[in-house]
Amino acid sequence: MSTRKKRPKAPWKKILYEKQDYPDNYTDQNIFLKDLRKNVDFKEVSLWEACLGASRLLQEFFTVILFILIYLYMVNKWVEPGIVLYGMSGTSFLGFVFYRIDFTNSAPKVKQHSLGYDIRTILTFVAFGQLFSPVLHTLTDTISTDTIYTMTFIMLLLHLIFFDYGVSSAMVSKSISLSAAMFASICLASRLTSANDAFVLLTVATQIFVLSPILRKELNHNVILTVILFVLDFGFLIQVSFLMSFLFLFVVVLVNLICPVLFVRYQKLKDNIYGPWDEAVVNDADNIVL
Amino acid sequence: MIESSKCHTICMVSDFFFPNMGGVEEHIFNLSQCLLIKGHKVIVMTHSYEDRIGIRYMTNGLKVYYLPIKVFYNQCVLPTMICNIALIRYILLREEIEIIHGHSAFSALAHEAMLLGNLLGIKTVFTDHSLFGFADASALITNKLLQISLASCNHCICVSHTGKENTVLRGRVDCKRVSVIPNAVDTFSFTPDPTQRDTTQITIVVVSRLVYRKGVDLTAQIIGDICEKYKEVQFLIAGDGPKRWLLEEIREKRGLQDRVVLLGSLEHSQVLNVLVKGHIFLNTSLTEAYCMAIVEGASCGLKVVSTKVGGIPEVLPEDLIILTEPTVPALLDGLDKAIQDLKNGQIVCPYACNKRVEKYYNWQDVSRRTETVYKIVSKEKTINFRQMLYNHLSSGVWPYLLVISLAFLILQFYEFWVPRKNIDIAKNYKIKRKNVQT
Repeated sequence: MSTRKKRPKAPWKKILYEKQDYPDNYTDQNIFLKDLRKNVDFKEVSLWEACLGASRLLQEFFTVILFILIYLYMVNKWVEPGIVLYGMSGTSFLGFVFYRIDFTNSAPKVKQHSLGYDIRTILTFVAFGQLFSPVLHTLTDTISTDTIYTMTFIMLLLHLIFFDYGVSSAMVSKSISLSAAMFASICLASRLTSANDAFVLLTVATQIFVLSPILRKELNHNVILTVILFVLDFGFLIQVSFLMSFLFLFVVVLVNLICPVLFVRYQKLKDNIYGPWDEAVVNDADNIVL
Repeated sequence: MIESSKCHTICMVSDFFFPNMGGVEEHIFNLSQCLLIKGHKVIVMTHSYEDRIGIRYMTNGLKVYYLPIKVFYNQCVLPTMICNIALIRYILLREEIEIIHGHSAFSALAHEAMLLGNLLGIKTVFTDHSLFGFADASALITNKLLQISLASCNHCICVSHTGKENTVLRGRVDCKRVSVIPNAVDTFSFTPDPTQRDTTQITIVVVSRLVYRKGVDLTAQIIGDICEKYKEVQFLIAGDGPKRWLLEEIREKRGLQDRVVLLGSLEHSQVLNVLVKGHIFLNTSLTEAYCMAIVEGASCGLKVVSTKVGGIPEVLPEDLIILTEPTVPALLDGLDKAIQDLKNGQIVCPYACNKRVEKYYNWQDVSRRTETVYKIVSKEKTINFRQMLYNHLSSGVWPYLLVISLAFLILQFYEFWVPRKNIDIAKNYKIKRKNVQT
């Protein structure tokens, strides 16, 4: 009871400079860890948000599958290279037109390249692509097909790991991601029959791995795009292999359903500890007025 | 056993010791000196520094073992836990050590010796000198390692109450087993000398390593702004480090060559000569467990302006320090206040300041409180191998039990190969004990 008479003892203070009437290992339960704070910037992610986020990964995964499918159809001669080239280029052109219009409307202040500059870039690419496709075609010709496929798998995995999904993280590296994808496409190009086929594949790779992320970023990784890509991939894949399309569906369910559900369920276990011992952050370290 | 039963034989272990310079090194040396004078036997164990290998004696016969172990990273040895068993065991037995006192969470050698000490039935004490966050991956790993290491440690010492909270959270130690014993400052070698001060100008002194953690980015910004606002202010900056270019650049850009003096790295004994010239001591650390520098500044009678981070708010009473948030505008406000106080003559007498700091912090007091810890620890029951394994189960890293078991087996092997009875007992250094009451 508080009415009971106690020895007059000054309350413990969290200071070092005064000798206090307490042993050194005394812990005042009222003051101890008073400044501890948990999950300061915690923002609960809803299931819908988690699924939307996961669909960004899926979208990139679908584009990779699309590229592999195009290669598969070309190497087995199920499709004319011309159709692939014109089909993809037509799509790219539509995307380009949309991008130009959208870009001029949304951000008029940002300086953009002139149309002439863009056309010059395309012409340069076509000319150099045609010139170097025989070289690129035979570059990895002597390597065995198994090695090529393993290499392609690893490189595309790297591409997916380092791809910029719109989250700022130390992992993200656009250059590693793009280089890995281009390396994979050069590997695959050597399995095709002619230099022209190789040129087509490299053009498609450029459109898929270089141009499409720019457009998709502008579209904010729209879900409709994900659905279109899914239908496209699944439609072609089911004609190639039943097992593969089953695995494909499994990945889709895993990434876009199971993982978000687990994430949402386990986020309440998040337990970040903050306190006076944390290093202070200098906000204006990079823009010191010299 | 030497003389009375209350004297202990203590082995200080750390990767950081003279000729390296810093807070931990200073702490070990001063604490050892005080304990030696009180009649305890103290040895220091550290790794070799260039040609400093073997045994050296320092002031008052402080015996230092520089073990021939290669440095692995950041002045630390590679934490193999088992490779140096033979050597460390030999030294511990040879010196009849009763208490192992490890210093600094970064020091792998300290953790290694503490593990071995536990297995040999020697009591262990650990002093934590630094603070850690919990947010990033490297912190998570080091915190887990600390938890493993402290699982069977007898007692921990922290340098501030914030440090204690941090250690209890990181190492999951019982808070009764953690004592708070602050660092101290040799106030005799940090005596003020107002005659050295410039009467026409206000001198702001900064003494710190020039690294990110010490807030050099803040200092750089402040130098520019304060020099613009007050024409009579000059800066004296002692210390060196990777961020020195930032200060040089701001000095260059603003044309402050005559008002901002960069002295570079100084010997600890020379710091006094810089401090006595100053009116205001500025500390912009981003994290700090105790901060020796502000106490040294206050001891020299300077008005201290410091960021309110880590254990700093506990260190000095309100009238000796101006605490601010770790941002440029807050620090500028703090300096404004300090400069206004100086101009209005509202200052604490430097000599009174020195006397007060001496009352707050001195090594005699630190060593007395550390002795209390030693006393508690030496009364505790020695844990056997089984209990030790059991203690380590709580850390959750069960593979570590294998490491302990392996270390135990290696020790048993050496017990057979180099039996205890064949190890010579080292003779003790006799020092003149004029200060010790018999």
